[in-house]
Amino acid sequence: MSLKKIEQVKQDRGFKLFDLIIYGLVLLAVAALFIAVFATRDKSPVTGIKIYIRAEAVFEYSFGSAVPSGETLDKRVETKEDENGVTVTVRADEKHLNVIYIDKAKKTAKMVEANCNGGQCKYFPAIDDNNKYIYCDPHGVKVEPLSRDWDNPNIII
Amino acid sequence: MQLLKKIIFPSLACVSLLFGTACKNGKEKYTVYTNLPQGAYTLTEKNFDTVEIGGYTPNEQSFPEEDTSSYTTRGYTLYAMFTDAEIIVADDFTKEGAEEKYKQFKSDLSALLTEVSKCVSSTVKDSDIYNFNNAKAGATLEIGKTAYEVLSTAKSVYTFTEGFYNPALYYNIHAYGFSGESSHPESAEDLPDDALIAKYTDLAKRFGEVTLEEKEGRYFVTKPAYTVEADGEVISIKLDLGGVGKGYAVDKIDALYEKYGYNYGYTSFGASSMVLKSNFKTGPYTLVLTNPRSISQDAFIHIPARGEKLSTSGDNEQFYRIDGTRYCHIIDPETGKPVQKGIMSVTVIGGSAAEDDALTTAIMCMGKERAVKFIEEKLTDKKVVFTCE
Repeated sequence: MSLKKIEQVKQDRGFKLFDLIIYGLVLLAVAALFIAVFATRDKSPVTGIKIYIRAEAVFEYSFGSAVPSGETLDKRVETKEDENGVTVTVRADEKHLNVIYIDKAKKTAKMVEANCNGGQCKYFPAIDDNNKYIYCDPHGVKVEPLSRDWDNPNIII
Repeated sequence: MQLLKKIIFPSLACVSLLFGTACKNGKEKYTVYTNLPQGAYTLTEKNFDTVEIGGYTPNEQSFPEEDTSSYTTRGYTLYAMFTDAEIIVADDFTKEGAEEKYKQFKSDLSALLTEVSKCVSSTVKDSDIYNFNNAKAGATLEIGKTAYEVLSTAKSVYTFTEGFYNPALYYNIHAYGFSGESSHPESAEDLPDDALIAKYTDLAKRFGEVTLEEKEGRYFVTKPAYTVEADGEVISIKLDLGGVGKGYAVDKIDALYEKYGYNYGYTSFGASSMVLKSNFKTGPYTLVLTNPRSISQDAFIHIPARGEKLSTSGDNEQFYRIDGTRYCHIIDPETGKPVQKGIMSVTVIGGSAAEDDALTTAIMCMGKERAVKFIEEKLTDKKVVFTCE
């Protein structure tokens, strides 16, 4: 770069119009992405939790209502309730065990124990909105919100 | 202004760079290989490097504009082929006859899945594949059209991938405890003997000798005459069509969507094979591929897709570890053992889901160099994403 050019650059204004347009566009793109990711999420609260074994509904609980227990329960399901939440133990068969904890105050559900290969289902994020579900593939146990949002455009693989 | 431009902005850039590097160093580095054109995906994980693969020719699709303002979505889950299938349909259910149509669709779909499960299962007694597996070496059997079509796809992908997809690794799958019937080895001593695995692998290499024939609307399969002696027993070839069956079912479900005029919705088979129509609110769906090594299922790439069928395989679906080594359910036809060639997951998008299903298994077994060459030269009409350690 010649000395003359360097002098010219030094004398330039801090921002040229073109710079400002680029910064503006970058800010707009960031704002659009933020809106797309966060504002379009379904934030409707979870109203309850439903549990399936191999697509057969075996447990259903609506927040605020009585926890199903005793004879109303499927034989493969046991529940234990305290003031904070409900622990649901699911035995798909003699060998396969899954334990789900439903937090009544936070209105969430999480797989807390599973004896499947790798135990991957324990690492599914807690169900805290109507887009999420938990699936234990080896045991065929699925936990999902009572009013699952089937419109969710995100398909997780 | 000069101060902003010369000091503050560069400082911010440096801080961002340092922060990014620190985040990267805190996690393992992985590589994602893809033939998707730039702009057709968004990488969302910093600890993934991208390697672009050439050769893909985009196939332009057009989607009719429809008034979907009165559409709503219905979804339900079915258990079939050892996993959950989620079936989602969006339609104007207030229209006359819409409920009846949906009811009939569900009924047809259940019947279809029962038929496919029954035909391709190796465990359902009297299924075509069960009968094939239990027939004597060299025997010819009459089979149904479904089993014939699935076997035809399996044979064609076997040839196309030069044996990297091989559905005859039945004994190997059982030996490593992935059949669903047997428990898996707990320690190195429990692992199957190398000599035994070599015999099973030798037998599987005869899959190319399985012959299919159609005669006046009837379908036949002939088993190779080759046998081996293993564990004091003479055994003949057996098949496990798990690597193509779900994809085949998805192809048929897609045809059912078409038959009923459903342009919106999707069906996913345990997230391993799926058909995506369109989302009536957003147009494309967003495929969110998760890091196979992340226990919290972090997404690493977002791919918009509609009007596509696809399949995914990964070494994180079913696996166990012995002495730190991962043993997954995908058997490498070269070694006869669970694949350990560094590829963690493969997704193939486009064309037939049955083919994609078999291709994902094959690519897992190729190792990255051969996989890249194969995709560049042979998969120019499909979108492929695979991840490596």
